[in-house]
Amino acid sequence: MKKYALRRILLSLFTLLVILLVLFVLMQLMPGSPFNDEKLNAEQKANLYAKYGLDQPIFVQFFRYVGNMLTGDFGVSYNISKNTPISQLIQTRLPISIAIGGMAVALGTLVGLVLGIIAAIWHDTVADTVATVISVIGVSVPSYVFALALSYSFGFRLRWFPMLFTAKQIFASSVLPSVSLSMFTMASIARFTRSEMLEVLGSDYMLLAESKGISGPALIFRHALRNALIPIITVLAPLIVDLMTGSLVVEKIFSIPGVGSLLVTAIQSNDYNVVISLSFIYSAMYIGIMLAVDILYGIIDPRIRLAKEENA
Amino acid sequence: MKKAKAGLALTMVAALLLGMAGCGSPTDTSTDAGSGADSTAGSSAASSGASSGSTSDLNVMLETEVESLDPQIATDGTSFEVIADFTDGLMQMDASGKAVPAVAQTYDVSQDGKTYTFHLRKDVKWSNGDPVTAKDFVFGWQRAVDPANASEYAYMLSDIGQVKNAQDIIDKKADKSTLGVKAVDDYTLQVELNVPVSFFPSLMYFPTYYPINEKFFESCGGKYGTSPSTTLSNGAFVLDTYEPAATSFHLSKNDKYYDASKIKLPGLSYQVIKDSQQALMSYQAGTLDTTLLNGDQVDQVKDDPSYKSVGAGYLWYIAPNISKIPALANQNLRLAMTFALNRESITADVLKDGSTPTYTAVPPQFATGPDGTDFSADQKKFSAYCAYDTAKAQDYYAKAKKELNASSFRFKMTVDADDAPQKVAQVVKEQVEKTLPGVTIDLVVEPKKQRVEDMQDGNFELGLTRWGPDYADPMTYLGMWVTKNSNNYGSWSNADYDALIQKCTSGDFCTKPTERWNAMFDAEKIVLEQAVIFPLYTQCNAEMVNSGITGIEYHPVALNRVYKNASKADS
Repeated sequence: MKKYALRRILLSLFTLLVILLVLFVLMQLMPGSPFNDEKLNAEQKANLYAKYGLDQPIFVQFFRYVGNMLTGDFGVSYNISKNTPISQLIQTRLPISIAIGGMAVALGTLVGLVLGIIAAIWHDTVADTVATVISVIGVSVPSYVFALALSYSFGFRLRWFPMLFTAKQIFASSVLPSVSLSMFTMASIARFTRSEMLEVLGSDYMLLAESKGISGPALIFRHALRNALIPIITVLAPLIVDLMTGSLVVEKIFSIPGVGSLLVTAIQSNDYNVVISLSFIYSAMYIGIMLAVDILYGIIDPRIRLAKEENA
Repeated sequence: MKKAKAGLALTMVAALLLGMAGCGSPTDTSTDAGSGADSTAGSSAASSGASSGSTSDLNVMLETEVESLDPQIATDGTSFEVIADFTDGLMQMDASGKAVPAVAQTYDVSQDGKTYTFHLRKDVKWSNGDPVTAKDFVFGWQRAVDPANASEYAYMLSDIGQVKNAQDIIDKKADKSTLGVKAVDDYTLQVELNVPVSFFPSLMYFPTYYPINEKFFESCGGKYGTSPSTTLSNGAFVLDTYEPAATSFHLSKNDKYYDASKIKLPGLSYQVIKDSQQALMSYQAGTLDTTLLNGDQVDQVKDDPSYKSVGAGYLWYIAPNISKIPALANQNLRLAMTFALNRESITADVLKDGSTPTYTAVPPQFATGPDGTDFSADQKKFSAYCAYDTAKAQDYYAKAKKELNASSFRFKMTVDADDAPQKVAQVVKEQVEKTLPGVTIDLVVEPKKQRVEDMQDGNFELGLTRWGPDYADPMTYLGMWVTKNSNNYGSWSNADYDALIQKCTSGDFCTKPTERWNAMFDAEKIVLEQAVIFPLYTQCNAEMVNSGITGIEYHPVALNRVYKNASKADS
């Protein structure tokens, strides 16, 4: 098991390095410079390139960047917040994004489970149809549409929640973004729970439990849900990562000072270091979660571990 | 259809209510996390009390985050606007955009126009109590040209301001101490220029020329301007909450400001809003006192008395690639195209935000001449070369077809991937193709950075582009079309034109404002006579300003919005 985990970790680190290299190459292919292309002449641009070491060959830049990164130095922003260290920019923003993403995951999972269970227990009834319609909408409508709709109805019309994120009311102003982000998770979890639950409910051991006289909530929660949960947890991992990417536009709409809106601005203005650092952090989180799931799989189910070791 | 929509709305509401009901415990934990950060939010400033005038903050929005609060590093209008809220330069803009005294009480100009001596007020203090002295300006200006800082706006001192030795310092040929600016004593600043620059005092309100307190700057250890504690104010307001790239921040009135009695607002509250729907709703809900609109929103609100359109200064024009595309080298074809453009229709039917049709190479409303008139107030003065006249367009087109011995032409027009330019380009295409049968324009849509790069490299046929003025003089436009200038996208070259511009920037006319002014008209005439560019329109921004708000000043140059003379009626 240890050998297996170690190999997975090394492979992940290697993947991260490759991602970093690809990001570097992609940045080089982006048109224009991070600087004011319209107003600067060639000499001024050269001077700026020299200041930030962008005049060096790309592999020199790459290795320097990797070296600095190991010491925790992600470089400075070139234009969206000139000369500010990126670690400083991220420090205050990452917690906000994680908090809102976390709320969205919690909300989406909980509501999704409830909807899924309802749909499974009363399947082929009105309740099932309603739950299915909700999850179809949740899966197919992008989060920014929800964001605008919620902002209009609950922010502007009803005035229940602030339309924009504000440090004065962090919780209240996080509600609408979290809800809009949670829709996709909720819908996916609901659909998945429904099908898993249906399968479990139809299984022999459920019949046995029922025949032993177990009924009501105990039957559903202790026996059915527990068995249905295992596969659900595995789909949750990629959903969490999806939330981070979905937050890009939602953060922009609600003016949330998170990393998502920062990344959007950085891409639009060719702020190389910010784009690279944030994409790298996103990748690292993604890979980290996948790695954790992979290793957990191995622990939960030895068959997977053995099969993978044979293939490797 | 309507039914389906209502159904969708209902199900969404249902989903939401379910969401609310189910979200009990996990969300509660976030409340605790939130309230911790809550106490750090600087909302207390509003209660600090105003001495006179308005009792509540002015709530304003920005479309982008502030890039930098370091006056010598900042390059964008947003940053400039905020820096000017808390910093005064030697001069400031009055409501009409004229340079009027700020930190400098008076100034003298030498006979030859090459030496300016500014006499500073003695009652101006930094917010840490230090007096603002001539040395602070010397330090700030030296930072602007210091190659170690690679300031993007260094050319404000070299090319434009013509401060002595600025170019050599930027090029690393001289030490920054040789810059032509000297603190004669604490309150006298002497500036030497290479050539007389008639608009030099108006550059003094440009943030690149703002002072910095050296001692304080050094004490910040590279973190200057990144937080309220690493920022000094000598202006109308003091920064009290801010972090790099903040989406909201606050400034309070500076009670130690030398002109504090004139400041009516207790504070300014900024909110970055990138989504235009959110911005308009925030305005309508009363959380914003003023907001920017996009063209589509104008239709909804244009009858509202709070709606106004303010000049943004940008001239939008089409540049033909004269040197590389043989057909476009033909002057008659270029003239045919410029006469085929119905600019009125572009502004009235497409943009609808108050932008004005423009028939001059220098847009109106930013440069005022020695006689006090706007350089481009008369939009008809070049109507013989630039107007909407389909008959003339067809005449020129017939000549061009004959000269080029061709009956059809196909051009690519490079356009920014943004909303407004694409719409404008589509109409330009229709207008030209309709008036000049045989001409086909294919639109090439590119991200702005790519479009600018392609045009600078001469890799285009026709290009829709814009230029905003950097300083209040027509030369900020006319300087573009001299031979080899990097913004002379079509690589047009004309010896007479170059000679005229040279006379105005460094030759005889430098000290003769009236002659210089007339020579610039002559130069502009050449540009239009030869249809070097096809001017389209001068951009305006559509704004909503709450009826209780007065005194916000809008400028197309340097500081787009000045709030320090604003006041807000209690509602």
